[in-house]
Amino acid sequence: MAISIKVPQLGESVAEGTVSKWLKAVGEKVRKEEPLVEIQTDKINVEIPSPADGTLSKITVAEGTTVLVGTEIAVLSGADEAVAAPAAGAGSGAKAAATPAAAAMPARGAATATQAPPASAARTQPASGNGAAQAAEEVRGLSPAVRRIMREQNVSMAEIASIAGSGVAGRVTRDDLIEYLERRGAPPPPAPAGAAPASAREAGPRPAFLTASSAPAAAGPREEVVPFNMVRKRIAEHMVHAKHTAAHTHCFDEADLGAIVALRREWGPKLEAQGIKLSYMPFFIKASVLALKEFPWVNGEVKGESLVVKKYYNIGMAVGREEKGLIVPNIKDCDRKNLVQIAAEVNDLAARARADRLRPDDIQGGTFSITNAGVYGATNSSPIINVPEVAILGVHKIMERAVVRDGAIVARPMMHLAIGFDHRVVDGELAVKFLRRVCELLEKPELLWFYA
Amino acid sequence: MRSDTNEANDKLTACALGFTPYREGLRLQEGLVSARAAGATGDWLLFPDHPPVLTLGRSGRDDSLIADPATLQRLGVERFEVARGGDLTWHGPGQLVAYPIVDLSRRGRDLHRFLRGLERALIRVLEAYRVEGRTVAGRTGVWVEGRKIASIGIAVRRWVSYHGLALNVAPDLRFFDLIHPCGLRGIHMTSLAALMGASAPPLAAVREQVARELADGMGYSGLRWASPGEARDAAGEDAGAEVSSVEPQEPAVNQVRTAGVPR
Repeated sequence: MAISIKVPQLGESVAEGTVSKWLKAVGEKVRKEEPLVEIQTDKINVEIPSPADGTLSKITVAEGTTVLVGTEIAVLSGADEAVAAPAAGAGSGAKAAATPAAAAMPARGAATATQAPPASAARTQPASGNGAAQAAEEVRGLSPAVRRIMREQNVSMAEIASIAGSGVAGRVTRDDLIEYLERRGAPPPPAPAGAAPASAREAGPRPAFLTASSAPAAAGPREEVVPFNMVRKRIAEHMVHAKHTAAHTHCFDEADLGAIVALRREWGPKLEAQGIKLSYMPFFIKASVLALKEFPWVNGEVKGESLVVKKYYNIGMAVGREEKGLIVPNIKDCDRKNLVQIAAEVNDLAARARADRLRPDDIQGGTFSITNAGVYGATNSSPIINVPEVAILGVHKIMERAVVRDGAIVARPMMHLAIGFDHRVVDGELAVKFLRRVCELLEKPELLWFYA
Repeated sequence: MRSDTNEANDKLTACALGFTPYREGLRLQEGLVSARAAGATGDWLLFPDHPPVLTLGRSGRDDSLIADPATLQRLGVERFEVARGGDLTWHGPGQLVAYPIVDLSRRGRDLHRFLRGLERALIRVLEAYRVEGRTVAGRTGVWVEGRKIASIGIAVRRWVSYHGLALNVAPDLRFFDLIHPCGLRGIHMTSLAALMGASAPPLAAVREQVARELADGMGYSGLRWASPGEARDAAGEDAGAEVSSVEPQEPAVNQVRTAGVPR
């Protein structure tokens, strides 16, 4: 029976781990509970024990590689333990572990996700006669420091019950309580009892539109607290860091995409027949690479007080993933790939980004990025630079608009383009010239003959 | 017997070990980890006074070492490779080293939460001396005015933590010139003595403060100080002959700071 060894859950905010050391070699026999591999996250190195007796038949992730939690890192074969072993044994998290300690703990993940009202908390008292005795029982489990803060801040036992504790057996620690008090602010005023029903009775039958407006308010809380998950924290940090370091400036241009629309109309179905969906992104990437070659500073990175100009073109594309959050994987060496190869990689990266199947390498090493807010309907935008890169191209919705050609008003498929650039190193002149060149290459694809 | 409501289990037992060669400290930790995982003892907080030593964690790179082997030998600095997280660091006289042996299974097995708890406790310790410590995202440890004052590197075996944290109280900071601390280039270390001068607290006082803040912040019902002999018993070590002469008295507030190590 082969068992898949995976990176276990290492905590709520831990998304990935690095294989720091294999303690067994392929072909070596291991006993259940014997240390198999060490995994590091942040400054913690964790020994992962073997889930069963068996032979380590395959190592799929080498030392020094960082992978997402849940990724398979090895296979154990010849395990004669029951099939039920892998989940608990591979240490796939507190949830799976059937130790008495874990079982005694309230479901912390669920309780911290929203600020649960006391009524739904795991440790709320049943409404029985000996409530006081039970409250005293509860207090006994709290540290003196917690009890002191409770007195000072007027915190009730019901509130304590609503806090997801991080201490032993889910107990509320001082840190937990301080965090809670920061969130709590002032306690809500008591509701004026009976007021609402009285006025409703007076009014008698009312038109539906009048009653409708007040009905939803009673349905549930009017606010929901959504704590940042790991990805959201990363995005927030990254965006604020970008805004603080780069001297963000934007400028805009527009292009007539008639030629590209026609090219895609002709070639899209042919590539589709080979299983490759042709979007506009490959054209934007290709045009950007050629313009970057002409204006190399735009393909740079700020390091200290220097600009590092890259002679390779790894073009990132922003992929929106709804609540899973934005991610910008990049396509490597776009200058050495033709449009069809780029199209295939665009599809592959976008699909893997949405399925959470990106490898660390996919999101590292980018030199310039493109973001397409047009897929959601935006006609223009001012994108944030994916630092340490120095510029980002924004592309948008292609719209039939009235433009003047040879003195006559005609309808053309037009698109606005935006560039966000770091004015520390890219002057306005350079940014405008670069953006204009991208527009020209899109308007007259035949220019590729002269540039490529 | 393993019991989550056992009163003794909910107390943190601290122990000032006194002068402890690194190898001995490691052995004691490993013994306590096994005993803790088996439910034979509670959570411990060990405070060893190590002679100068360099330890290399699992993300360590050889090029983090600046000094050559001959220099290290001349200075009497031993070098160990250990299974904790993090890179290369120095421990030695004047530095407060603390090893929390904590069963993380009883705390939701959340490694980052544990790390952040240690950082918060250290920041509170500094607050007590009017020193403003802060954390830096992605660089575990505690920093004061852009310099690093405390390092953290943890190992976990059977969901019990060991190794731990090092707070610079009054070490000879020149030792850090031997290495790129934590593998970080251009990092400067600082210490309470460097920041506070003559008003810096003695190591023993900081040790008490650290024990109190950790016990408090992490929700223990109390703090108890034990003798090194008790720690060795709990770790299942033979109460051998080697221990007696350097064993300090309870509650170990009078530790020899440099314990015969040449500065």
